[in-house]
Amino acid sequence: MYSSSRPDSSLLYRDFQCSQLVIFTGVNSGYMLGKGAKRKHEENEDELEGAAPAPASGEPADGPSKASYTLQRQTIFNMSLMKLYSQRAPADASLERRVLINNMLRRIQDELKQEGALRPLLLPASSPPEDPADEGFREAQPAFAVPAAPDSCLTPASLLEDDTSLFCTSPPPHGPPRPAPQAAKDSFSSALDEIEELCPATATTSPSDGTPSAPLSTEAQSKDKNGSQRPGGSASPAEERTSAADPAPPNGLDMSPSAPPSSSPSSSSGFLTDLALDDILFADIDTSMYDFDPCTSGAGAGPPKVAPVVTADDLVKTLSPYSGGSPSSGPSQPFKMDLAELDHIMEVLVGS
Amino acid sequence: AVIDSGEKRHVRNPKERGPVKCFFFFSSFLPADIISTVEFNYSGELLATGDKGGRVVIFQREQESKNRPHSRGEYNVYSTFQSHEPEFDYLKSLEIEEKINKIRWLPQQNAAHFLLSTNDKTIKLWKISERDKRAEGYNLKDEDGRLRDPFRITSLRVPVLMPMDLMVEASPRRIFANAHTYHINSISVNSDHETYLSADDLRINLWHLEITDRSFNIVDIKPANMEELTEVITAAECHPHQCNVFVYSSSKGTIRLCDMRAAALCDRHTKFFEEPEDPSSRSFFSEIISSISDVKFSHSGRYMMTRDYLSVKVWDLNMENRPVETYQVHEYLRSKLCSLYENDCIFDKFECCWNGSDGAIMTGSYNNFFRMFDRNSRRDITLEASRESSKPRAMLKPRKVCTGGKRKKDEISVDSLDFNKKILHTAWHPKENVIAVAATNNLYIFQDKIN
Repeated sequence: MYSSSRPDSSLLYRDFQCSQLVIFTGVNSGYMLGKGAKRKHEENEDELEGAAPAPASGEPADGPSKASYTLQRQTIFNMSLMKLYSQRAPADASLERRVLINNMLRRIQDELKQEGALRPLLLPASSPPEDPADEGFREAQPAFAVPAAPDSCLTPASLLEDDTSLFCTSPPPHGPPRPAPQAAKDSFSSALDEIEELCPATATTSPSDGTPSAPLSTEAQSKDKNGSQRPGGSASPAEERTSAADPAPPNGLDMSPSAPPSSSPSSSSGFLTDLALDDILFADIDTSMYDFDPCTSGAGAGPPKVAPVVTADDLVKTLSPYSGGSPSSGPSQPFKMDLAELDHIMEVLVGS
Repeated sequence: AVIDSGEKRHVRNPKERGPVKCFFFFSSFLPADIISTVEFNYSGELLATGDKGGRVVIFQREQESKNRPHSRGEYNVYSTFQSHEPEFDYLKSLEIEEKINKIRWLPQQNAAHFLLSTNDKTIKLWKISERDKRAEGYNLKDEDGRLRDPFRITSLRVPVLMPMDLMVEASPRRIFANAHTYHINSISVNSDHETYLSADDLRINLWHLEITDRSFNIVDIKPANMEELTEVITAAECHPHQCNVFVYSSSKGTIRLCDMRAAALCDRHTKFFEEPEDPSSRSFFSEIISSISDVKFSHSGRYMMTRDYLSVKVWDLNMENRPVETYQVHEYLRSKLCSLYENDCIFDKFECCWNGSDGAIMTGSYNNFFRMFDRNSRRDITLEASRESSKPRAMLKPRKVCTGGKRKKDEISVDSLDFNKKILHTAWHPKENVIAVAATNNLYIFQDKIN
């Protein structure tokens, strides 16, 4: 039906010239399109970009490459959490973007689950987790540089290698968990609820409905979750951060007002229940990026468990390379963290 | 059929425009915005742009005149109107953006031009018509329009049509609202010229152009439990000749072709297009970069083209298991995916377009670069749409991105690319080598040089 008007063999050798330029100018022309600034060459990014997961053969990769893969994975995981739960204007919340980020989180969590499936909380120091055979990721590119000083324990990669007890492959239980409370009026109470849950966080595997968590929840669900005491509320600081920090979020993917509040408690805790978890799980997160202190003994009610005491030390040890300073003595640390924790909570609540 | 009352808006007198003055004309009048869609009409005479502020600006090509043989038919502003206004959904406490997501022209059937424009929730049918005559000599009202006193009327006369300065009026003729829960990403006019489809993230509706109070849902991929949602619809288009066929693409890199004759609800596809993943290039971001941002049938109807983050693929409708052609748009970004994920650029939705003969395809990139691929010779070219390099009548110089090693002169390195300058929307004249490229709030029109 369509007839060709001229031969196109030399199409690309024709010279296109600019005949017109129409400039739409106006007050909004300075609108920030995105966060993509002119990028400079950064070593860190190159390392992350070039981080090499295990080779396609499925054999366990050598140390640095595996650690870099793990680091990259964790970084991406954290980034994804941030993307879903940081304060954003609702207009930015494209459903496709949220679905893609959520899929990313789910995939990483599945992978971590597979890797951590055979081990409980603490890993034996000997064997690094093996990659699932089907994960054929790229080799490390030469750009990735293993830290030079062998005795230095300050670099993330080497830290991950040395301290496998911290390297709990289970991620924060609820990747994109129950989204922050929908209604502003609930935010305070729900935030308090969550803070309370953070502290009595135990290693108990709460009863799960078996469904791998629904990362996505609806608005109605979030309302339901506000009041419900989440089983085995695995005190994830990210949980507290994400939920308390986001009272009016772009939350649930379902924008339909008629969304059924299906099985909210179970869905919300889906991520939580499968894995025994604790603050330890957040040990390997670069908390300097997020600037919050994980709850240890917690600001809310609930007796501090045995785990938190251990956690504080571990966290301190882990946090040191990121913060760049050596931590103060152990016993005083929890108190410091309590205050910092309270500050953070107040800041979040007031800020919301 | 109920016809909305014509509401005249933003009448613009075309005679005020002039090709040379276009630039200054805009900067003084319109508080404009980022261009969000560009579309030529069927003849290429008109070029419509929509922007983030809900405005539509239509350009018309000047007729080539013997007086100015070198003026290659430039595009001048023909009409401007406010298509959509920001709204607020009280039930969900959400603001509905007025940004125009898509414009699609209807084939011309009479002197007036019709187009569909849509934002996230509402589609509108606009009629753009010219008025160059007006009636004078009414009996019941005088020239000012005031009613005459009936007792003063002593004789009757027949009003006479007198020429007047050309006026272009845009009036909304239909408003198709309240049919989409999610954000509309595509509209496509059917080849029967009576129906059109609109697609949002989870559903596709079929409308009749005359009927605004209901539409027919033909695709629904919303899961019963929203927590199980892992895939959304990203684009949809009607087949250019077969009015029963349409395709829609997904965020997982798949395209489904549906035949409306098969069933009322086209949830089950007739054809399923997906390229098997290359295991050697798999990464964390494989799914995200496979998400299809645009799908376009060729004019012939034999092929379709899809755009994902790094490439453009041409598919033969008769072969579902892989595309027949793949063109890398900016493969050098593959090693930067983590950073692009961090700054959200990885979610940018680039469009693509065919030229009139289906021999070439074009799509945008970053740093105000756009790429053209010649399907016959397999050659490609990178051009830049920037004010510096685009003086009027200046030739476009091919650009090259240096991917590594020593950077040659005139090459630009990957790390110097400006990811804020992205060309998402391009359009190719249906018959000639004229292209429209939208770079943020600038519209560039490039024409093929003639000797």
